[in-house]
Amino acid sequence: MKKTQQIEAIMEVVRIVAGLAIAYLVALLILVAISKDPVFIVRQFILGPFSSPRRIGSIINLAVPFMLCGLSMCFMYAVNKFNLIGESIFMLAGCIITWVGLAIGNSLPMAVMVPLLLVIGAIVGAVLAFIPAIMDRKLNANVVVVSLMLNAVIAQLALYLLRYFMRDPGISFIGSYETPASMQLPMIFGKMRVGSGVIIALIFVVIVSILFYKTSFGWKMRIVGSNPKFATAVGLSTLGISFAAQLAGGALAGVAGATEIMNSYKRFQWTASTGHGFDGLLVAVLAKRNPILVPIGALFLAYVRIGADVVNTSGDIPNEFISVIQGIIILLVAAESFLSGFKNRLIYKSVQAEKESAKGSK
Amino acid sequence: MAEEVLRMQGITKIYPNGFMANKDVTFGIGANEIHALVGENGAGKTTLMKILFGMEDCQQGSIFINGKEERIANPLDAIAKGVGMVHQHFMLLPSLSVAENVTLGVEPMKNGLFDYEAAVKNTQEIADKYNFKVDATAKVSTLSVGQMQKVEILKALIKGAKILILDEPTAVLTPQETEELFEQLFNLRDSGVSVIFISHKLEEVMRICSKVTVLRHGECMGTYDTKDLDETKISRLMVGRDVVLKIEKEDPKPKEAILEIRNLKRFNSFGKAVIDGVTFTVHSGEVVGIAGVEGNGQSELSEVLAGLSDFASGDVILNGKSIKGLSVRQIRDKGMAYIAEDRMVEGVAGDMSIEMNIMADRFSKKNYKKNGMFVDARKIRKETQQLIKDFEISCDGPEQPVRMLSGGNIQKVVVAREFTSGANFILANQPTRGIDVGTAEMIRKTIVRKSREEGTCTVLISADLNEVLECSDRLLVMRKGKVVAAFPKANEVSEDTLGEYMLGIREMTPEQMEGLL
Repeated sequence: MKKTQQIEAIMEVVRIVAGLAIAYLVALLILVAISKDPVFIVRQFILGPFSSPRRIGSIINLAVPFMLCGLSMCFMYAVNKFNLIGESIFMLAGCIITWVGLAIGNSLPMAVMVPLLLVIGAIVGAVLAFIPAIMDRKLNANVVVVSLMLNAVIAQLALYLLRYFMRDPGISFIGSYETPASMQLPMIFGKMRVGSGVIIALIFVVIVSILFYKTSFGWKMRIVGSNPKFATAVGLSTLGISFAAQLAGGALAGVAGATEIMNSYKRFQWTASTGHGFDGLLVAVLAKRNPILVPIGALFLAYVRIGADVVNTSGDIPNEFISVIQGIIILLVAAESFLSGFKNRLIYKSVQAEKESAKGSK
Repeated sequence: MAEEVLRMQGITKIYPNGFMANKDVTFGIGANEIHALVGENGAGKTTLMKILFGMEDCQQGSIFINGKEERIANPLDAIAKGVGMVHQHFMLLPSLSVAENVTLGVEPMKNGLFDYEAAVKNTQEIADKYNFKVDATAKVSTLSVGQMQKVEILKALIKGAKILILDEPTAVLTPQETEELFEQLFNLRDSGVSVIFISHKLEEVMRICSKVTVLRHGECMGTYDTKDLDETKISRLMVGRDVVLKIEKEDPKPKEAILEIRNLKRFNSFGKAVIDGVTFTVHSGEVVGIAGVEGNGQSELSEVLAGLSDFASGDVILNGKSIKGLSVRQIRDKGMAYIAEDRMVEGVAGDMSIEMNIMADRFSKKNYKKNGMFVDARKIRKETQQLIKDFEISCDGPEQPVRMLSGGNIQKVVVAREFTSGANFILANQPTRGIDVGTAEMIRKTIVRKSREEGTCTVLISADLNEVLECSDRLLVMRKGKVVAAFPKANEVSEDTLGEYMLGIREMTPEQMEGLL
């Protein structure tokens, strides 16, 4: 039966690769119909993101919030609570840390400022995640509905803070005053222009992975998520654990928002929800709720997005179409049963071969 | 030999998890025959029947009905070809009448609308033909389990089933209902229906079947005339060794009271008492069995004792302290271990590793942790490997997901955890349901051994009469949320007597039970 586990692992990789191949093939077929130069477009889509160090750097920068939001959703996903509040936490945490940063100014060194703002972001996230979590627990209000509704409210709150307390009247668009240099994360890797936020993201990947697989809390959380009735019957506090996991997930979404502002912006200038919370869910699905795989999921999503940008600026097809291709790719990668018939036949063959050889050796 | 109506030739079935459920199985039945299909659980009986009924496909093999090769694509196809199946779990619509359930799918129509009168008439006709005593206009929700089973059989017959599969039909029946079922099966046989009778209960097989086919580990061990066999021989064919059907045990020496239940009451959401004033005490060193037809408060009692549900009044004292208001964790810390009724729901987390499942109740305790928050991976791995060895769990290793194991091995994971938790009160609810004879025997023996050697107190709730009679020292019978009978020595009670109390034909007075609770 060891063989069975091996086949399951190998087929996982085959499935993803085949999914990608089919998605690009479908894209190519559609492009033939609507573009003058379909092969060029597809090539741009696949290879464009790697065509310059700057673009590779962009992939990494884009992957930073994806990673942190993906980790955030890993917590929600682990306990099977689809608390989607991360979407607005990301925005409000970015807003609040900008506000705090502006208030502190350049009086603190970066080594103090950055951790401080990350902690504030985390607190904002935990406090906001508390609302849907407690309503789910005490009022039996569906956590998906509550968190989605709250997202709208919180996004407006962030916008209100921006307009009435932080807005810089000296610029042509809606944005805050410029943040102090002590909270603007420096670039690394020279030409690639990668923000050092990637280091923060990777540190959190390590911390969350250890939390999931090496700590007692992580074990509890995974058992609760896998079978809550079983968890209750063996004496785990199912409600408490799923509650704590949601707060931790919220805190990480807060860290994500804070990191994104410090890594990629000089002002807080989001006037609408950014979609990062939902991207986080996507990453968590791609990573199969395993924090160790989150960087891969995040980099993949970032690569597809940058590919779309490249095509958008250099090709003759509309942006909306790029979203369609993205959708197909992600769908096929996430579809767990894709090729399962093929996998089952492989398992069947290997078991039979095993039995035959067992018979032979007798 | 009678004409062969069904032949399954060289059937091989491998499940997607790599489990080979049937290996080159060949199986045939004749007309006018009650044919037993026996084997340990996981031997492939149900799988073979699901293939015949079109619920599973097989990788190799062919099926012949009346000598003609048939491909059975789905259950509808199977019904059309004259195969009917009565599942272990009934598939009935409780809010509809018997006639509506029976004619479902073959509804008589009048002017484009369902003709209820005709449905009742058709149902009654077929019931009378086979001498089934059911009221076609009664609502299914008002029927007893035995009557529901009749409705299930009628459902198959009205569609013209000539081959009827019964999957462990007597598991849910009382002894009296079982007798009635057997009468009906004889009637069916005499009127030309071939019956495939899947059962664990060998004495039933010996009584009603003319032939028996034995499966072992997915392979066919042959078809025999029952008159050439006896129970011991069948069980030897099934497991390849002699199973001791009796459990040898010395008399219990009950010591101090460990579990005291005092006038316990619990109500359901409709305000009906599901536990209605239950009182009894279990001592160190004894096994108390609770028998009863399912749904008479045993599950509810088990939930209360396991801390999974609150109760309205009365009290439960475990090791000198009331468990009222305590969490499952606190009750477990007071000495409770729990083998859950449905292992896939409360016994394991299927997607998690064997290791996490075995350690689920203890990894968060101090002595399994390092530096406060980290699990002590090395110690956990070592203990898991030891338990896998001690309980003979056949698996690839501690990291294999539990869902990949067979039913018996999954239950071994459950008992490896619960028997080693250090508890002195074991609550075992249906501990051997649906698992192979070998594992069941191991579990039963361990329950008895722990009570004798370690002085644990055990409450054994089981629908398997043989199990409660063999394992228990004292025996209680529950009916409608009450304890209606108590016997000082379980192995001196006959199944018939037990059946009368379970069905409410007899009831003991509190005076009769005095000193036995």
